[in-house]
Amino acid sequence: MFLAWNEIKKNKLRFVLIVGVLMLVSYLVFFLSGLATGLASLNREAVDKWDATAIVLTEESDKSLPQSSLTIEEADDIKDNETAILGQLNTIARNGDAKQNISLFGIDSEEFIMPKVTEGEKFAGENEVVASDTLKEDGFELGDELELSSTDEILTIVGFTDSARFNAAPVLYGEVATFQKVKFGEGATENESQINGIVIRGDDFSSISPSNEDLEIIEVEEFIENLPGYTEQALTLNFMIYFLFGISSVIVAIFLYVLTVQKISMFGVMKAQGISNGYLSRSVIAQTFLLAFIGVVVGFALTLISGAFLPSAVPVSFDIPTMIIYGVILIIVAILGAVFSVLTIVKIDPLKAIGG
Amino acid sequence: MAILELNNVKKSFGTGHKQVDALKETNFSAEPGELIAVIGPSGSGKSTFLTVAGGLQTPTSGTILVNNQDLSNLNEKQRSKIRLKEIGFILQASNLVPFLNVDNQMKLLDNVKKDNMTKEELNSLYDNLDIKELRKKYPADLSGGERQRVAIAKALYSKPSILLADEPTASLDSEKAYEVMELLKKETKQNKTTTIVVTHDTRLIEYCDKVYEMTDGVLRLKETS
Repeated sequence: MFLAWNEIKKNKLRFVLIVGVLMLVSYLVFFLSGLATGLASLNREAVDKWDATAIVLTEESDKSLPQSSLTIEEADDIKDNETAILGQLNTIARNGDAKQNISLFGIDSEEFIMPKVTEGEKFAGENEVVASDTLKEDGFELGDELELSSTDEILTIVGFTDSARFNAAPVLYGEVATFQKVKFGEGATENESQINGIVIRGDDFSSISPSNEDLEIIEVEEFIENLPGYTEQALTLNFMIYFLFGISSVIVAIFLYVLTVQKISMFGVMKAQGISNGYLSRSVIAQTFLLAFIGVVVGFALTLISGAFLPSAVPVSFDIPTMIIYGVILIIVAILGAVFSVLTIVKIDPLKAIGG
Repeated sequence: MAILELNNVKKSFGTGHKQVDALKETNFSAEPGELIAVIGPSGSGKSTFLTVAGGLQTPTSGTILVNNQDLSNLNEKQRSKIRLKEIGFILQASNLVPFLNVDNQMKLLDNVKKDNMTKEELNSLYDNLDIKELRKKYPADLSGGERQRVAIAKALYSKPSILLADEPTASLDSEKAYEVMELLKKETKQNKTTTIVVTHDTRLIEYCDKVYEMTDGVLRLKETS
């Protein structure tokens, strides 16, 4: 550390440039991870809020909630577990001025997927809904009467709840009957037991075998992965992050290699004096650690600062433990990048370096 | 007792009819407190002698004893340890680290080796070499003579048994060259170090206890008056 730190102190500009590059790479990694988390939340936060273990859908729905159709009675098959019935459809809601794609959830307010109301009241009757509070930013308010694109039914917002988006759309929670009126219109009475799925909370769901062979039990994580576009989006962003890990390793390797080549003669003289390869290598590794650590910490701080100034329309959500893990990975790959320099040092012949 | 002994040491490069004997069979010994000059024209084998004696390369045949430890059959790592413990180098090219000030040049050695000079001994060395005022300066801020005096301080700081100097006055004018030789002589006698100076400058031999002459790889003791 002695050599490493003194060299950094003496050649500040050179090392500030290297730290700057590492800081920018880490800033980009942290931002992409925030974007990945934010976009994932956009798709799954309502499902995460259920705190459920599985969901029952029809086999032919191909794990898609809107395509699944089953009856409330089928929930009775699932014994020894906490269950919640769920009807779901996508539509467009308009309050006169604002218009927004929404996901309507038909639920039983006494079951566990009923969200906590953060403003207003629970829905108490047909056509009353509790809405995702993200709709407030789009101009929706308590008491708003919502026209829907697919029906003549009018829904009234009686409350708001937080963290309630599903597949990138804000959720409206209402009674199952409300959902059925919106979905089936005049045919609602004939379809009063029709829902889309049954949510299960409990660890022993794997032992359940519904009497209806057309139903399948899907773990929540698998259900989320099958949301349209979810996996593709997550893979794309994660690939970008993994490439950035590789890129930062290469950048550090190139910078340090150039610096090491410039110092071959100096290292050679030190080796002639008896200073070991181990000491010199540790010095290069320590220097890399310092540079990467400073770059990552500055990148981390810069990400959080710029995140605070972003408009809420940008789907960024910073998950600090994930960011810390990515920061540690960045430092590790930077140190791996220093391995080339270490190999160069080991190969230096002190005799040649001093011109013997 | 000899601190450095070369017994039948030979160093050749190449094989067959392309073989060059840079150092022909050589026997040499040096006692503590001796200042020895090895003179000879360029290409005569002086530097090969110095680097073989200093464990920077292994001999083709023969044995090299440094403080009774045979260097000839050791690997680079083992020789490196002996160099650190027993041998100080003063090289033609500055052996100073460019981003360390004079004090830190010494601290670097504290990081890799114990039993270096105490603070008092270092201050006394700084006084002797007249570099006390330079302790916070970096090599780039020093003149050629000052750099060489700092290099001598660095070589002596680890209290080596043997000091090997390769053309230590090459970059200096006559006055500074004599000053450096005077210093080497003083430090050699004071610390009972064995100092071997390789040079082609015959004006420096008056400071030495023994003078060897190297001609075409053959080392001979030169009679001095």
